[in-house]
Amino acid sequence: MFLALSEMRRAKVRFGLLAGAVGLLVFLILFQQALLTGLVNQFIGALKNQSADVLVYNAQARKNLEGSIVLPDQATAIAAVEGVAVAAPLGEGTFTVLAGDEEQDAVIFGYELGGPGAPTTLIEGRLPEADGEAVASSRNAADGFDIGDTVTVVPNPGGTATTFTVVGLAEEINYSVAPTLFTDFAGYETARRAVNPDATQVLPSVIAVRVVDGADPTVVADAITAAVDGTEGLTRQQAVDESPGVASVRQSFSVILLLFYLVVPLVTGLFFLIVTFQKAGALTLLRAIGSPAGPLVRSLLIQVVAVVLSGAVLATGLFWLASLGGGGGLGITVEPMPVLATTLVVLVLALLTSLAAVRRVLRIDPIAATTGAGVQV
Amino acid sequence: MSSSNPSDSSAHSGAAVLATGPALRLDGVRKVYGTGENAIVAVDHASLTVDGGEIVALLGPSGSGKTTLLSIAGGLLAATEGTVVVGGEDISGHSPRELTEFRRSKVGFVFQSVNLVPFLTAEENLLVVSELAGARGTVRKQARARAKELLAELGLSHRAGNLPAQLSGGERQRVAIGRALFNSPALVLFDEPTSALDTKIGEQVMELIQSEMRSRGTAAVIVTHDTRMTHYADRTVRIVDGVLGLGDAAGDDH
Ligand SMILES: Nc1ncnc2c1ncn2[C@@H]1O[C@H](COP(=O)(O)OP(=O)(O)O)[C@@H](O)[C@H]1O
Ligand SMILES: [Mg+2]
Repeated sequence: MFLALSEMRRAKVRFGLLAGAVGLLVFLILFQQALLTGLVNQFIGALKNQSADVLVYNAQARKNLEGSIVLPDQATAIAAVEGVAVAAPLGEGTFTVLAGDEEQDAVIFGYELGGPGAPTTLIEGRLPEADGEAVASSRNAADGFDIGDTVTVVPNPGGTATTFTVVGLAEEINYSVAPTLFTDFAGYETARRAVNPDATQVLPSVIAVRVVDGADPTVVADAITAAVDGTEGLTRQQAVDESPGVASVRQSFSVILLLFYLVVPLVTGLFFLIVTFQKAGALTLLRAIGSPAGPLVRSLLIQVVAVVLSGAVLATGLFWLASLGGGGGLGITVEPMPVLATTLVVLVLALLTSLAAVRRVLRIDPIAATTGAGVQV
Repeated sequence: MSSSNPSDSSAHSGAAVLATGPALRLDGVRKVYGTGENAIVAVDHASLTVDGGEIVALLGPSGSGKTTLLSIAGGLLAATEGTVVVGGEDISGHSPRELTEFRRSKVGFVFQSVNLVPFLTAEENLLVVSELAGARGTVRKQARARAKELLAELGLSHRAGNLPAQLSGGERQRVAIGRALFNSPALVLFDEPTSALDTKIGEQVMELIQSEMRSRGTAAVIVTHDTRMTHYADRTVRIVDGVLGLGDAAGDDH
C-alpha cells in the first residue's frame, strides 16, 4: 500500500493519464453496450415486451415475423398441444400511415384483446379495449403517436382507409426500428384489407401462446414444433435472440466490443510493464536491502486495481453525462449491473495482462543492485 | 590460511570491539563466475575477519573482486566455496528467502550507484523496507521515530520530506547511510561510497561514516580504490585479482 500509493502520488500525471485512457475506453464499452441494447430494443422490443410465452412461426419463415403465416389448421393443432393454455392469432405488418400530418411507415401488431401478445410495458394510458384503439411505442409519441393522436392507414386503390386512436403508450415495443402500434386482431385485419382489398382471408403471422401454469415454455415450444407440421415454436427469449436482424447487429457489435475489451487490458498491461522496467533500479534496490518479492508484486497489483477502478468511476461519470443527452434518441440509461459487470471484466483482464509486469518483478535478481545495472532481462 | 588472515593484524585502533565476536568472518571464500573456458575466478580463497566495531578498508583496482566479496558478505551473492559468518550467523547455506530476511535485519549496504528509491522521500527511503515487510502498530511507530532520529543525527531533518532528486550528492549519500543503519546492523558494507562525489564532499562523507560507525560500535567494510580514503579505516586490506593481502595499518597515506 505504502509503496503503491507513494509512487502514484508522485507520478500523478502518468497514472492519471492511464486512468483517463482506461476511463475513456470503459466509457466507450458502456456506451456501445447501451447502444446495442437500445438498437436491439428498436428491432425487436415488440417481441420482448409482449405477453405470449411462446410464439409459433411458420417453419419456412426462418424465425422472421415478416415472412411468417400460420394456417388455420395449424392454429387449431397448436391449441391442442399439451401445455398450451391459450393460443391466439398475432398479426404483424408494415403499413404506410398518416400520423402527425406526415406519411410514414409504421408496424402494426394485431393481437386478441385479453389474450397473449399484448404489450407488457404500458407506461401511460391503457390497452385497447375496442376496435380502432391502439397502444403506441412511447419512443414515437412526439411523431404523431401520442395518446389522443389518430393514425390512418393509407389504403391502396380500392381499399378503405382505416384509422386508429392511440389510447396508451408502452416502452420499448418498436419493431424493425419503425413506429409501432398494438391493436386488436380485427383492427389488424382491417388494415390488411385497406392495402390488399382482394384478400379473402387475413391469416395471423404467428400464433401467440400462453402456457399452462407451471409449464416450461421451452418444453412447450419444442412440443409444438414436433407436433404441428410446418411450424416452429420459439419462446419469447428465443424469438428475440434468434430474430435475423438482431443476430447480425449483435455480431457486428460484439466484434467492436471484443476489440475494446482487449485494448483496455493491453494498454494497462503494457503501461505497467514499461513502468516496471523504468523503475527496475528501485525494485532491485528494494530486493537487495531485504524486501521480499511478494510486497512488490502486491504493490503493483494495487496500482492496477486503483487505475482500473478510477477509470471505471470516470467512465460511469461520462456515461451518465451521455445518458442525460439521451444518447442520440437511443434512450441510453445508466444501470448499475452492466457498469459493475463491465468493470469487473476489465479489471480481471487488466490483472491478467499485468502478469507480464509481475513476472518481471519476480525475476529481479537483487545482486544487480551491486552493479547498478538494475535491469536484467 | 589463518596465518595470512589480515584480521590478525594488530593494527586495530580506536573502535570499540564488542564482546560478541567478529562482525564478519569469511573463511576460504571463492567465487567463480561462469563455467568451463569462460570461468572467471573473481574471489580466490579469501579469508577475512572483521571484529565488532572495526572499520576495514578494502582497497584494490577495478575488477579485482571488491564488489563480489562485498556482495558475498552482504548475502546478495552465494560463494562458490567457503564459509560466510555475519554477526554469528552462518549464511553460507541460506536459501534465497533466508538471505532476504538476513539482508533486511542483519546487515547494511550502501551500493555504488542506486541507493534510493526515486519516488520516495528521504524519510520514506529509510522506512520502505520495514513498511514492505509489513510493519504495523507499535513497530511502525517505532520505525517512524527511528527514521526521524537517524535523519536528525545525519543533519537531514530539514530534508526528510524531499525526494532524492531534490537532494545534493552528499545529502543523498547521507540518506543512503541512514538507510543502511536503519535496521541497527552489526556490519555495514560500503561499495565505493565516495566515487561519485568530489574530494571535499567525499571526505565529509567518509568522516560521517567513520563517526557514525564509531558512535554505534558498528563494524564496516569500505570498498575503495582511492588510497586517500583508507586513513578513515582502522585497517586496510588489499585485494588484487581476487586475492586478499595485507595492507598498511590505518591507510596508506602515512
Ligand atoms: N556477474 C558476473 N559475471 C561474470 N563475471 C563477473 C560478474 N561480476 C563480476 N565479474 C568479474 O569478476 C571480476 C571482479 O569483479 P568485481 O567484483 O565487480 O570487481 P571490482 O568491484 O573490484 O571492480 C571482474 O573480472 C569482473 O569482470
Ligand atoms: Mg566494484
